[in-house]
Amino acid sequence: MGSRINFPDLAFGVLLIAIGLVAWILIADLPVGTATSMGPGYVPRGLALLIGAFGVVQCARAFAAARVPLPSTALRPLLLVGASVAVFALLLRTAGLALTAAAVVIVAGFAAYDVRLRENLLLAVGLAVFAVLLFVIGLGLPIPIWPQ
Amino acid sequence: MDLFANLATGFAVAFTPINLAFCFLGVLIGTLVGVLPGIAPITTIAILLPFTFTLPPASSLIMLSGIFYGAQYGGSTTAILVNVPGESSAVVTCLDGHQMARQGRAGPALAIAAIGSFIAGTIATLIIATASAPMSWLALKFAAPEYFSLMVLGLTGAVVLAHGAPGKAVAMVLVGLLLGLVGIDVNSGLPRMTLGIGELGDGIGFVPVAIGLFGIAELAVALGSPQDRTLLAFKAKNLWPSRDDIRACIAPILRGTAIGSVLGVLPGGGAALSSFAAYAVEKKVSRTPERFGRGAIEGVASPEAANNAGAQTSFIPLLTLGIPGNAIMALMVGALMIQGIQPGPQVMTEQPQLFWGVIASMWLGNLMLIVLNLPLIGLWVSLLRIPYRVMFPAIVLFCCIGTYSIANSVFDIWIMLLFGVLGVFLIKVGAEPAPFILGFILGPLMEENFRRAMNLSRGNPMVFVERPLSALLLLMSLALLVILILPAVRAKREQVFQE
Repeated sequence: MGSRINFPDLAFGVLLIAIGLVAWILIADLPVGTATSMGPGYVPRGLALLIGAFGVVQCARAFAAARVPLPSTALRPLLLVGASVAVFALLLRTAGLALTAAAVVIVAGFAAYDVRLRENLLLAVGLAVFAVLLFVIGLGLPIPIWPQ
Repeated sequence: MDLFANLATGFAVAFTPINLAFCFLGVLIGTLVGVLPGIAPITTIAILLPFTFTLPPASSLIMLSGIFYGAQYGGSTTAILVNVPGESSAVVTCLDGHQMARQGRAGPALAIAAIGSFIAGTIATLIIATASAPMSWLALKFAAPEYFSLMVLGLTGAVVLAHGAPGKAVAMVLVGLLLGLVGIDVNSGLPRMTLGIGELGDGIGFVPVAIGLFGIAELAVALGSPQDRTLLAFKAKNLWPSRDDIRACIAPILRGTAIGSVLGVLPGGGAALSSFAAYAVEKKVSRTPERFGRGAIEGVASPEAANNAGAQTSFIPLLTLGIPGNAIMALMVGALMIQGIQPGPQVMTEQPQLFWGVIASMWLGNLMLIVLNLPLIGLWVSLLRIPYRVMFPAIVLFCCIGTYSIANSVFDIWIMLLFGVLGVFLIKVGAEPAPFILGFILGPLMEENFRRAMNLSRGNPMVFVERPLSALLLLMSLALLVILILPAVRAKREQVFQE
């Protein structure tokens, strides 16, 4: 990879082109109308075109720039924070708030490099109790506390 | 005078026990997140947004705005004692504030920051109260073309003030506008870009998007970059600045207030820009500029006054025109819409209690902050000892519950996750999410006004430049863009953001 490419700019440009393309395909069937009476497709089409054009310019400029590597991304926090959110989405309806909250905290806790097991478990229990007390009992949100 | 009658109405609303309580809660939470680095006020407001659904509109807005200006106070505490800005607007406070703390003058630095903020908050409240009436009067002259041009100006401002490359910010605005249009088109009843998913019929939810981008994404990135904090020993003794200190700070506080008040109103403006500008000005006018960066008390007083004034006056475009000037104001629009209130000039006439109540609460909130914060500084400092690894799982959990509770929808959690991942990507490639969120909230409004204006002019785009007010707004946007492109300004801008 000795090339002179600005990789962050290139990645952003590719994302823009992808968004423009997907949007264009999704709105292909919508009536465009005229400038006087615009259909539902008029403005989104214009935007999709503009976004795509910006993407192309970004990509072109990325190739003409000095080399910039993609910044390194710490995968562990990203994956585990993401996983904890997914756990919440998957468990809440069946497991109830108490168990879900504890599970979210445990999974999220491991996203930190300096996680301590006992502290994390205590935190999970504490936050689960707190969440149930505050949100279900205090604020009255319609969330089941225990598994259905 | 009308002003006093209006303010009296406002104070009557703000002084009801429930609103006093929510104002207190708001500034307390605001100070808390301001003190803690790693949780921004925008994240907090996004997380709390769903819970305001059950509150009366005035209480909801009073609390949320309290979080915003409360965070400006809290941010300076961390900046002075730890040399870590609790908020982006407190970055310049680190320069002289922390030096003062090193010289054993942490107390006066904290006190002058609080006093400066209070004076600025008081003046800014008066400015909002006086400026609102003429602004709303102007707003009544607005038709579709003017609204469209005004939104162009707002988005241009967001681009100019975004960090990083302007091209990326423009692209982010466009993507925001596009995604804002997802859902069933009001005019034709046809679904747009919904992928046939029923939940997307009402559009992509604003709260999951905001929490994903500002909450989840920021967390995941912050965890990847280790933070170290060394706390300076702090004694609550010698809190009060000397008479000389106060005398030296009066003019800087007033200058800071003036700068902040003006910059806050500008689209895209707000607290952070104001404090940078105030510091630069203070250094320029000082007879002893070499003291700056070495513990000059003026270098704390003026930016602190400016960021508080800017935070407050950035409410003016929102309250009078219904157009959010920055991402936090976009969240406020979200808060109003949850309550079924369409922000705009009519709010002032149709909901005077809400309007003046929120304004009056700002002054009350500032008073609470000064009474609250100075005695409680010890408590805030001890909070800084809580390790991040204990704090962030709680934040993740609250993000999830908050997003879920807005519509009891698991689908929204997935949307939040999706935008969290997108947010990490954007941060990594150097594109800021703030212009995106502004475009996202303005998308439907802008399309609607564009369609209407073009319809009235029979498809002639000249309508935007033939009407004087609209032309003026577009000219202002153009001027902003030209300034941005000028090489001298560009270099300066990069330098400011570097610092």
